[in-house]
Amino acid sequence: MKRILEVKNLQVSLPTPNGDLRAVRGIDLHVNKGEMLCIVGESGCGKSMTSMALMGLLPKRAEVIAEAMYFDGMDLLSLSKKERNQVRGMRMSMIFQEPMTSLNPSYTLGNQLCEGIIKHKKVSKDEAKKRAVYLLERAGVPYPEKRLDQYPHQLSGGLRQRVMIAMALMCEPDLIIADEPTTALDVTIQAQILRLIRELQQEFGTAVIFITHDLGVVARIADRVAVMYAGQVVETASAKDLFADPQHPYTKGLLNCIPIPGKTLPGSHLESIPGVVPSLIGELKGCAFENRCSVSIGECCYRSPRLENHLGSEAHQVRCPIATASFQEAV
Amino acid sequence: MAEYALELTNLSRHFYLKNGAFKEPTLLKAVDGISLRIRPGETLGLVGESGCGKSTLAKMILGLLEPTDGDVLINDKMRGASSRLSMSRQLQPIFQDPYSSLNPRKTIEQIIRLPLQLHKMGDANSQQKAVKDISDLVGLPERLLTNYPGQLSGGQRQRVAIARALILKPNILVCDEPTSALDVSVQAQILNLLMDLKKELGLTYLFISHNLGVVEHLVDRVAVMYRGKIVEQGTREDIFQNAQHPYTQALLSSVLTPEPALGLPEVLDSSAWNQAS
Repeated sequence: MKRILEVKNLQVSLPTPNGDLRAVRGIDLHVNKGEMLCIVGESGCGKSMTSMALMGLLPKRAEVIAEAMYFDGMDLLSLSKKERNQVRGMRMSMIFQEPMTSLNPSYTLGNQLCEGIIKHKKVSKDEAKKRAVYLLERAGVPYPEKRLDQYPHQLSGGLRQRVMIAMALMCEPDLIIADEPTTALDVTIQAQILRLIRELQQEFGTAVIFITHDLGVVARIADRVAVMYAGQVVETASAKDLFADPQHPYTKGLLNCIPIPGKTLPGSHLESIPGVVPSLIGELKGCAFENRCSVSIGECCYRSPRLENHLGSEAHQVRCPIATASFQEAV
Repeated sequence: MAEYALELTNLSRHFYLKNGAFKEPTLLKAVDGISLRIRPGETLGLVGESGCGKSTLAKMILGLLEPTDGDVLINDKMRGASSRLSMSRQLQPIFQDPYSSLNPRKTIEQIIRLPLQLHKMGDANSQQKAVKDISDLVGLPERLLTNYPGQLSGGQRQRVAIARALILKPNILVCDEPTSALDVSVQAQILNLLMDLKKELGLTYLFISHNLGVVEHLVDRVAVMYRGKIVEQGTREDIFQNAQHPYTQALLSSVLTPEPALGLPEVLDSSAWNQAS
């Protein structure tokens, strides 16, 4: 399958008074055409930093290094600012978490929806409006013509997120990065929005990087999943394999933490992951998960594990030598 | 012992939304005639979407907002009949956001100790000991007591909030989304703590949440709120296995568990429950 995005050894660090905060510590990612890749992890694991780095939205003081960052054959890192602007918005677009703050309160929705396409694709205002109305309708916004003259505050949270989705699709991008698009919404609305993103993604053949902390959401929409911890990918697999056969102790721990109606015995003691995430300032010695891990051994303290194939398959990779080794013994 | 730890009778709160100087204000019934009873030692889960009035209800129970109509009875006594101080010895809140509910300029010890000082309970030594005991109980390391909230993680801060709530030995806790600002691994720790405390101290919880997985795990009875009204209430089994109201059914079908084979739930038509309510 053709890869629309390929990233090798991406690193992001931010200067702080206490030293460099290394938020992303060497990530390899790829997204195939028309695929839904979910990046999942807890707060502070670097998932949003990764998406901002891909979009080129990080402030100047943030240092972004990568061995390679290819988008549809183009090297994103060598592009000029102007060329990058052309890619961003037209070929890559983004849906943010808070539809409250990501829409400009002082412009009409029509203005904001059409701005990008008029700038990037040099279409007339009328054509842009036509497309906006069409996409609003596809996104399930009632009275799409009327909405063009309305302001963000006149819409509910769910509707605003639908407008954001329509906006992301305006220029027919090849890749959409959705950063926690449903976290601020109610569960019933969340289900609707997820369904909408999935449907439109399949209809337009857009690749999506979906960033979330909710494993329930991941399970229901992802084609592939990357689990992040402390700025690294610790496990990546197809959604089916990851949930049926998780390998990394962190992935297993996360899955055990969640009470599931009908499966977890009500009132029973929930498993939790003891301890806290390590500080990301400076170097980490050994495995980042070592201090919270239940199966760690002596060498975990000083040897940094690499992402290795599970069962010899590139489709399922784990960053834990113990998980890999114990599996080989069992076989 | 009181028959009900907490009883709400026909509790209402209405707001008037201004529509400009010359137009009639719109009446918003945030909470509209709610009656609920919680027995001592019971956990009641209150679920519903944002804007349904859950937090307005919690505020009225805590005495932070005057009801338009109806009464709140705490341990069979009317809220308002006795002083605020004596009420706060029976009922304490735990708020959603441990990042904004703790004073950033006070040390953890000062935060946990403040209720004792306000209530003039014990001398300095016994207060200090009480703070240590309660921190022990909620699993807060003693070395953190001299720190400020900014130096603590989200889970640790929520433990501080729980310690502060428990130091007056209340028998009822009102938990307004106590874990929704936390990561799942930490959420499990806090839920375990709440369950252990209930066993140890025989606490009564009103547990407000939109996370049905958590509610199912923790509560004995569930009340489902929609547009200011309770549309359905029953035991955990009643609600989770045999929900009657279409809105409850829609809520339950929207719960996303980590089971990839199930796919996304069908989108239900909201007119079904709008009519029914």
